[in-house]
Order: sequence, then structure tokens, then C-alpha cells
Amino acid sequence: MKHATIFFLYVSQYMKTRLTYRVDMAMEIMSDLLFQAVNLIFILVVFGHTNMLSGWSRDEIIFIYGFFLVPFAIFGAFFNIWDFNERYIVKGEMDRILTRPVHSLFQIILERMELESLFGMITGIAVMVYAGSRLDLTLSWYDPFVFLMMVIGGAFVYAGIFVLLASISFWSDSRTSIMPMMYNIGNYGRYPVDIYNKVIRFILTWILPFAFVGVYPSAYFLGREEWYGYAFLTPVIGFAFFGFAIFMWNIGVTKYRGAGN
Amino acid sequence: MEKVIDVQSLRKDFKSHSSRSGLKGAFRDLFTRNYKVISAVKDISFTVNEGEMVGYIGENGAGKSTSIKMLTGILTPTSGTVRVNGMDPHKEREKFVRSIGVVFGQRSQLWWDIAVQESFRLLKKVYNVPDDVYNEHMNHVIESLDIGPLLDKPVRKLSLGQRMRCELAAALLHNPKLLFLDEPTIGLDVLVKLKIRNFLKEINEKYKTTILLTTHDLTDIEALCDRVVMLDEGQIIYDGKLAKLRSNWGEGKQIEFQFGEDVNKEKLVPLLNELEAEWTIGDRPNVFVANVVNEEHVISEVIGRVVAAHRITDIKIHEISTEEIIRNIYEEGMLNG
Amino acid sequence: MGKYIEMIRIRFLMMLAYRTNYYSGILIYSINIGAYYFLWSAIYGNKGEIEGLSVIQMTTYIAVAWMARAFYFNNIDREIAQEIKEGKVAVEFIRPYHYLMMKTMQGLGEGIFRLSFFSIPGMFIVSLIFPIEFSAAASTWLFFTLAIILSFIVNTQINLLTGVLTFFFFNNDGLIRAKRVVIDLFSGLLLPISFYPGWAQQVMDFLPFQAISYIPSMIFTEGFQGAAVYEALLFQVVWAAILIIPIQALWIIAKKQLIVQGG
Repeated sequence: MKHATIFFLYVSQYMKTRLTYRVDMAMEIMSDLLFQAVNLIFILVVFGHTNMLSGWSRDEIIFIYGFFLVPFAIFGAFFNIWDFNERYIVKGEMDRILTRPVHSLFQIILERMELESLFGMITGIAVMVYAGSRLDLTLSWYDPFVFLMMVIGGAFVYAGIFVLLASISFWSDSRTSIMPMMYNIGNYGRYPVDIYNKVIRFILTWILPFAFVGVYPSAYFLGREEWYGYAFLTPVIGFAFFGFAIFMWNIGVTKYRGAGN
Repeated sequence: MEKVIDVQSLRKDFKSHSSRSGLKGAFRDLFTRNYKVISAVKDISFTVNEGEMVGYIGENGAGKSTSIKMLTGILTPTSGTVRVNGMDPHKEREKFVRSIGVVFGQRSQLWWDIAVQESFRLLKKVYNVPDDVYNEHMNHVIESLDIGPLLDKPVRKLSLGQRMRCELAAALLHNPKLLFLDEPTIGLDVLVKLKIRNFLKEINEKYKTTILLTTHDLTDIEALCDRVVMLDEGQIIYDGKLAKLRSNWGEGKQIEFQFGEDVNKEKLVPLLNELEAEWTIGDRPNVFVANVVNEEHVISEVIGRVVAAHRITDIKIHEISTEEIIRNIYEEGMLNG
Repeated sequence: MGKYIEMIRIRFLMMLAYRTNYYSGILIYSINIGAYYFLWSAIYGNKGEIEGLSVIQMTTYIAVAWMARAFYFNNIDREIAQEIKEGKVAVEFIRPYHYLMMKTMQGLGEGIFRLSFFSIPGMFIVSLIFPIEFSAAASTWLFFTLAIILSFIVNTQINLLTGVLTFFFFNNDGLIRAKRVVIDLFSGLLLPISFYPGWAQQVMDFLPFQAISYIPSMIFTEGFQGAAVYEALLFQVVWAAILIIPIQALWIIAKKQLIVQGG
């Protein structure tokens, strides 16, 4: 209850500040849209030269991309803490966070949120509707609920991975280039994993489980029954990864060395 | 009396790597690194009672901020025990930090882009302060610190002195029993300093708030604290009354003579024969300083002899400042007794 | 000149201090190139070649494009934006060097560092795992070297341009992000320019972006032959020269503005 009130207070503050810099906000939304378009263009150009990607059609790949955008938008709005090391560890802002009576990760999420990203959900749903109608997909009454679970699971997978990577900063404050590269790796979960060899498939399923933010849950909606097992694992993997990340974060906080040592 | 802070053989070690110099050294660092353990705080023990105002002083790197960070729950100790307000700061962090207030002089607690009162509102929710308590207490704080007119301005538009007063108000929003102040007056002008000091005295009297203050400005300590805890190289080298520190170390006086004629040390030295006094050369030509014990007859005798022997254009008597005392202590190493 | 070489050296040493970068970096680049390799194998399916590139050439193209990116890529746009916002640039005006030149040299220091610790060992590891073809012709290597130097210049110029634009906007983050996305797509990093539909290729011929990734990668994979190589290098040189004009113009205007407003 208390967390919810604090959350909404932060959101209203966020809106106030954002609305004072409207041009910035428009630019950010535009650049998000551009980013989403780039990936779509990639798919379109590729399918200008081929009809099938190991048995998956153009519209199916586009559908997966559309699905991916929804959990990714949620991740981008709340858990995109790629600059945690720089902002909180190197500059010592973590000190301030730790003197307040709210869980440290929760505070950081509130301070770093970028609600503009949520527009990506609209793009994603639009892309899914477009691809879905070309594929003649039908919806059952329970599909929206399944969709919700899949989206939450997917967002938690992303959140878990980024929180885990951020936690590394508690042990080692040297800068790494891992964070920006993770965005690239995240992209590979959007293609049918059967195109990859075993090693990469294993990585995308169990180590950096980005396949659960793209192809696996989408397989359910595309009616690809051979992947249903993985599809229904999505929320499980999401909660497991996010839970593990919070566990590691909590240990990390006790190892925090403070700035300037 | 109730112990607010109880620290027993507290220690913090940091593992740090040293880098080798030059290009070749940097290449070697790629593969193997030299690690060494540095003890920032070495087994310190002290207690602070309710309502005390304690000055926590030491040079940079003496272990001040590391120990403060352990007391506030930011860092986990390597060994030893800390009890603050009856809790273990790091273990029960979220519950613990409700009972303390923290001001870091160089770091803002307030949100940069939003108005001060919006920050207060957020903090009020974060600390779960009920409306009536908040209104009564904060109205008083806002009035005493004279920040009423600043409340609707964004923090980035405030001057340093204005911001610092708002920071202090924010730290006191939940009326904590214990207040940690880390360099609260750094860079502030005299008037703001005075205002802040008066305010701190007032809340200390009114709410029995315990205050632990670190600062480089010893006039803050003189104005506020009865007791000082002094650190050097991670250890406590003095813990006791400020007055005692002064009387042990600062018992002398300095008499500065501006001579109206050319003099040199050889001519002056015989004048102080048999007296507990010594000459040092002043910072201008023909200025000499006699360092004497703080006894009436010695002072009179020195002045009498000098005035009788030479022409004087000016004379000043200084008491040795706390700053000098502390500088002397650090220069001469450990304090005896 | 000595001071600029010193800048390169300092940046090189700074990069060296963060060693976790290479271990994680090489691994992640390998995963990246690996994933692209399989993706392209799937796209090729049974086709022998698409737009004149075989699947092996395509893999080589992707690998070299990513490794070259490590050389030309830098964050100086973000750094310039940061320094402008913090008001540090005003101080830079009184220093005895050209600020933009100094930033370029810092970028070069980073680039040389990544090339020697990242791209070359990374390329070696990747070539053990995936089928990649290296040209035996010395001329290809020579042209490639020239091409990546030019690609560094063009990319850095675009970064300088975006960075300096911060003077005229309150917050430049959106533009910087948009620029990055555009470069990934139109430079040929993700897709060779020849894969795009004809009209899109024509549009891109009038933009500088393919000088960054497409040209060096095509030279390396010998997708360009004979006169096409010279034409491509000329394209890079011309753009490198043209881009000097807007950078200088903006810089002069920015300087004036700074003097008027006093920082």
C-alpha cells in the first residue's frame, strides 16, 4: 500500500517535470519509434530476399517482433538501469539511496523510470494486430489473460538480466561495456531459436533467456504447438530470474564499498 | 542516560588494487593485479549519549566518512559491533534509517528539478509521517530556518546557502532522534553558518536530538560541540571535552610585536631569559612573536622587558586557535593522554 | 601535434585501466557474430548467393563490420553534450588546442585501443569458430586500412556534429539516440546497402552513412572489385571533406553564442 502511494507520487512528479520539457519528450518518443522502425525494416528487407526463415513466414516473424515490443516497453519504462554503475556507484548516489527507508532497488527504479517507453506497447500491439490479421489468427476469451502473463514474464526476464548486471557493480566498479551489448543480444530472441546452433539456443533459453521475450511466448499465439512447453514456461522463467536478481542485489548491497575509496 | 550510539572495536577493510605505472605496467595489469588490504577504520570504540552534540574530526582519509557510513547503515563493517538507536544499522536498514536524519554537504537529498515542497511531500510519504505531526513540526522548522519563501522554487535555482537550509529541513522532516551532519557548512557564508548553528542548538534543546557533526570548519565545532572525537589513520586519538583539549594543548598565548626599528633574533633572545617563553619570526619585517605560557606575570614581564628595550609601533595578543591546536596534534602525532 | 599524440596515449591508457571490458567484450561480440551467422545461414537457406554475396562472404561481412565498429565507434557526441551541459566547454576555449580536434584524438585513442585488444584478437577467435574468408591480396588489406581510417573520420565528424548541436537544444539525448539508430541501419552494419530496394539505395547514395560501415566491409569481403573500390574510397574522401563545413560553421556560431551569453 505504502509502496503504491510512493509509486504514484513519483509518477505525478515525473509527469510534471516531463511536461515542462515537452520538446525533449517528443524527441524521445520519436527516437523510440525510429528504433522500432529500424528493426521492422530489417525484417522487411530480409524477406525481400527470402520467403521463409526455416519454416517461419514473414508475418510470423513480424508478429514475434510485435509481441517483443510490449514487454520490452515495460522493461524500458521501469528497469532500464544500464547506467546504474556510473550514476549510483561512481558518483556515490547510492549513499543517499541507502539512507532512506524504502528498498534500494525500488527507489532506483522510481528515480530512473522513463514512462515514454510505454508508447512502445502501442506500437507493439499495432504490429501484432497487423501481422495477426494477415495470418488469420483467432482469439479465445482467455487469450488476453495469457497475453498478460506472457508480457509480465517477458518483462521480468529483461528486468532480471539487467538488475543482475547492475548488481555486478557492487563487487567491481570498473566500467564494462556489457550493458549496451545486451540490447543486441536481446534482439536474437526475436527469431525462431531453431535457426541457431545448440550453444546459442542454450544461452538464449537458460543463461540469458531472451527467447522468452520473443519467440517462445509468441509461439503460443501463432499456434505452433511444438513450442507450447517453452511458451508456458515464460512466466516461471520471468519470476525465477527476477527473484534471483533481487536476491543477488540484496547481497550486493552488503558489499557496497561507497564512493571514493 | 541512554546510549544512542554504541560502537565496539569497529573495523573496515578495503581491498584495493594498485596499478603499475606506465604503458608496460598497464599491460601487466591486464593479466595480474596487485591487491592490498587497506584498513580505513581500525577497531574503534566509543559511545554517544542522548542529547549530546559531538564533533567528529580528522584529516581527509582519517576514516571519518567510512565510520559515519557504517553508523548510518550504508557500509557493512568488516568486524566489530555497531548499535545505533538500539538497532544494527545494516541488518535492519529500512527500519533503522527512519530513526536517523542525514545531511551530506556535497550531495543533495532533494530532487533537482522539482520544487522544494514537492520534495518534502515525497519524503513525507517515504518516511510515512502523519499530516498533523508533519504540520506542527515542519512549520516550526521552516520558520526557524527561514525557508518559507523558497518552498515553491526548484532546487536547481537555489543558492548554496538556501539549498543547505532546505537540505537540513528535509533531513529533519521525520523528526529523527539522531542527526548525522557531514560537512553541513562547507562553502557557506558566515550569516548562513550562524543561522544553521542556532537552529541546530535549538532543536537539540527542544527535542533532545543527538547530533554527530563532521566538519573541516572548527568554528562550527567550537560553537556547537562540548565533546570531540578525533581520528587519525583509522584510530581514535582523542575523545573528550573540547575544553580539555584546549587547556592541555592550547595553554599558551602569542604576543606579536611590531618593532619601530631594525631588530634581529640575536638581540631579542636574551630578553626572555629565565622566562617560559620563546621567539618566532613573524610574517612581516620587524615582526616577532613571543610564545608564552598563559600566566599573568609572565605576560606582563615579557611585554615590560621588550617595551623597555626597543621601540614598538604595534602589539597584539592572540590566543592559540583550536585549528592550530589540532594542526599541532596532527603534526606531532599521537596525543599523549 | 605532440599534444594531440599525448591525448591519444592518455585515452589509450585510460581504456587499459578497465580490463573487464575485453574479456566480456570479446565474448559478447562473438555471441553477436555467431547469432548473425546463423540468422544469415537461415536467410540464405539453399540459395547460393544474394545480391552477389555468398553466405561465407556475408558472414565475413558481418564479422568485419562489427569488428570495424569497435574501431570507429566512440561516445564523443555524448561526452561533448555532457561537457556543454556542465559548462566545461567554456573553459576549453581558453586552452591552447582545438576542442573538437582534441575530442577526435581521444576518440582515436579509444579506437586504436579497441582495434588492438578487441577487434584483432576477437577476429582471430571468431575465425576459428565460423567460416570466414580472409583475402590473400595485399592490395585488399591496403584499401581496407584506408577505408576504415576514412570511416573513423566520417563517423567522428557525424558525432562531433551531433555533439555540438547540444549548444542549440536544451537536451540532446533524443537526437543522439536517433543518430545512433540511423547509423546502425544506414551505414550497412546490419544489412549490406545492396540488399535494400533500388530506390532506397539511390537515396542512400546521397547520404554519408555508407562510408562508415558498408564501404570498408565490402572492400574486405571483396564484394567491391576494380574501379568500384576507387569509387568507394572517393565517396568516403568527398564526404569527409564536405562534413568539415557544417562542423566549422556550427562551432563558430556556438562560440559566438557562448561569448554573448557568457557560458
